[in-house]
Amino acid sequence: MLDTKVLGLAHLFLLGFIMMTIFGAMAQLVPVILEVGHFGIELFYAIWPLLGIGTLLMVLGFLNFPQLLPYGGVVVLIAMMIFVMEFFLTIKKVKKYNLVMNSVLISNTFLFFGVIFGLVMSLSYAGSIDVDINVLLRSHVFLVIGGYIIITLMGLSVVLLPMFGLSHGFSMKPLKIAMIIMSIAVILVIVSTFTHIKIIEYIAYILASSSLFVYFYLIQTIYKTRARKEIDIYAKNLIFAYVSMIVSLLLGLSYLLISYEPLLLAAAWLMFFGFFSFSITGHIYKIVPFLVWFERFSPLVGKQKVPMLSDMLPKKSSSAQFLFASIGIVVITFAILFQNEVLIKAGASFLVVGALAFLRSMLYMINFKPEDI
Amino acid sequence: MYNKEELFLAISTVIDPEVGFNLVEMGLIYDASCDAEGNAYVKMTLSTKACPMHQLIQQWVKESVEKMANIKEVIIDLVWEPAWNASMADEHVKKVLSGS
Repeated sequence: MLDTKVLGLAHLFLLGFIMMTIFGAMAQLVPVILEVGHFGIELFYAIWPLLGIGTLLMVLGFLNFPQLLPYGGVVVLIAMMIFVMEFFLTIKKVKKYNLVMNSVLISNTFLFFGVIFGLVMSLSYAGSIDVDINVLLRSHVFLVIGGYIIITLMGLSVVLLPMFGLSHGFSMKPLKIAMIIMSIAVILVIVSTFTHIKIIEYIAYILASSSLFVYFYLIQTIYKTRARKEIDIYAKNLIFAYVSMIVSLLLGLSYLLISYEPLLLAAAWLMFFGFFSFSITGHIYKIVPFLVWFERFSPLVGKQKVPMLSDMLPKKSSSAQFLFASIGIVVITFAILFQNEVLIKAGASFLVVGALAFLRSMLYMINFKPEDI
Repeated sequence: MYNKEELFLAISTVIDPEVGFNLVEMGLIYDASCDAEGNAYVKMTLSTKACPMHQLIQQWVKESVEKMANIKEVIIDLVWEPAWNASMADEHVKKVLSGS
C-alpha cells in the first residue's frame, strides 16, 4: 500500500489541479466539440466548489483524519456525477456523432465507474465497509487515469493542437486506434481485478502502452503538418509533456521486465507530473488569455486598440515556470530511480519555484487590463 | 456598388487576435460582392471548425462591411469547402508562421 501522504498529494494534484482544469476547460470546450449548447452551464458553478471542498476533505483524510475520507469521497462523487450527468444530457442533443464526440462519451463513461470505485475505496478506508482496497485501487486508477484523463486528452488533442498550430491534412485514424486499444486495456484491468488472472493484467498494461505509442504517432503527424512553426511557451510545454510520456512508457515497460519498483514509481511520476501537468500548463497559456480577451476585450474591437493574445502572456514568469518545473521533474525522476532523498528535496525546490512562477503567470493573465497593452 | 477589392480592403481591418494577421491576408475570405442596391455578400471560412470565435469573427466581418457608405445588408456565407490551409495565406504570413 502506498504511503497515505503520497495518496494525499496524488489526490490534491489530480483532483485539485488536473480534474479541476479539465472540468473548467470542458465548460468552454464541450459546445465546441459537440457543436451543441450545454444542457445546464450553470451547474458548473456547483461543480467547482464541491470538487474543491471534496478534494480538501480527501487530502485531510489521507494526511491525518481518515474519518473525513468518505465525506470527501461523497462530495467529490456528487461533483463528478453532476459533471457526468450534465455531459450526458448535453450529448443527448447531438444528432450525428464524430470521433471526438465518441472520445468524450467513452471517457465520461469511464469516469462514472471510476468515481464509484473510488467511493467504495474511501468508505473502506474509513472503516465503513470491508473490501480489499488494493484490489479496487488498480481499477480505480485505470478507469480515472487511462479511461478518463488520457482518453479525454487524446480527444481534445485533435481539436486543440491543430487549432493552435494551424495543422491540416493529418489522419484521424490513429486516434480511433489509440482510443479503442486504451478502452480495451481499461476493461481488461477491471476484469483482471476480479478474476485475479495475471496474464490479463499484463496484456492490459501492454495494450495501454501501445495505445499511448499510437497516440504519440498521431501527435507527431499533427506537429509535422502544423503551419505555425514558432516554439513558444505553449509548444515548449507540450514538447516536454510528450517526451515525458514516452520516457514514462519506457520506464513502465522496463518495470514489467525487471520488477524494480522505483522504475514504476518514476514512470507514474513522469506520467502525472511530466505529461499531464505540462500538457495542461501549456494549454492554460493559450486558453486563459483567450477567455480573458473574450470577456474583457472583444467588446472593444473596432472601438479602441485591443491586445493580441500573445501580448497577454507574461514572458519572464512563463519561461521561469517552464525552466524550473522541467528541471524539477527531471531531478525528481532521477531521485526516484536512485532512491536519493536529497535529490528529491532539490527537485521539489525547483518545482516550488516553478509553481510560484506559474501562479504569477496566471495572475498576470487574469488581471490583464487595457492599460497593460 | 463596390468591387471585390474594395470589400476585401474593408474586411482587412478584421484581425484574428490569436495569430495577429487580418482575415484577408490569412486567406480566409474566399469571395465578396456587392450589388447596385448595397446588398453585400461575403464568402469566408475559418482556420478551424473548432474556432471558439466563430460568431464573433463573422460579426466583425459583417460590421467592417456595414461601415462602408450606402451598404444596406451584409450576408456572410461561412463555408468549409475548400478547407482552409496555410498555403492560402499571403507569402509574408506564411513566412512569419514558418518562422523564417
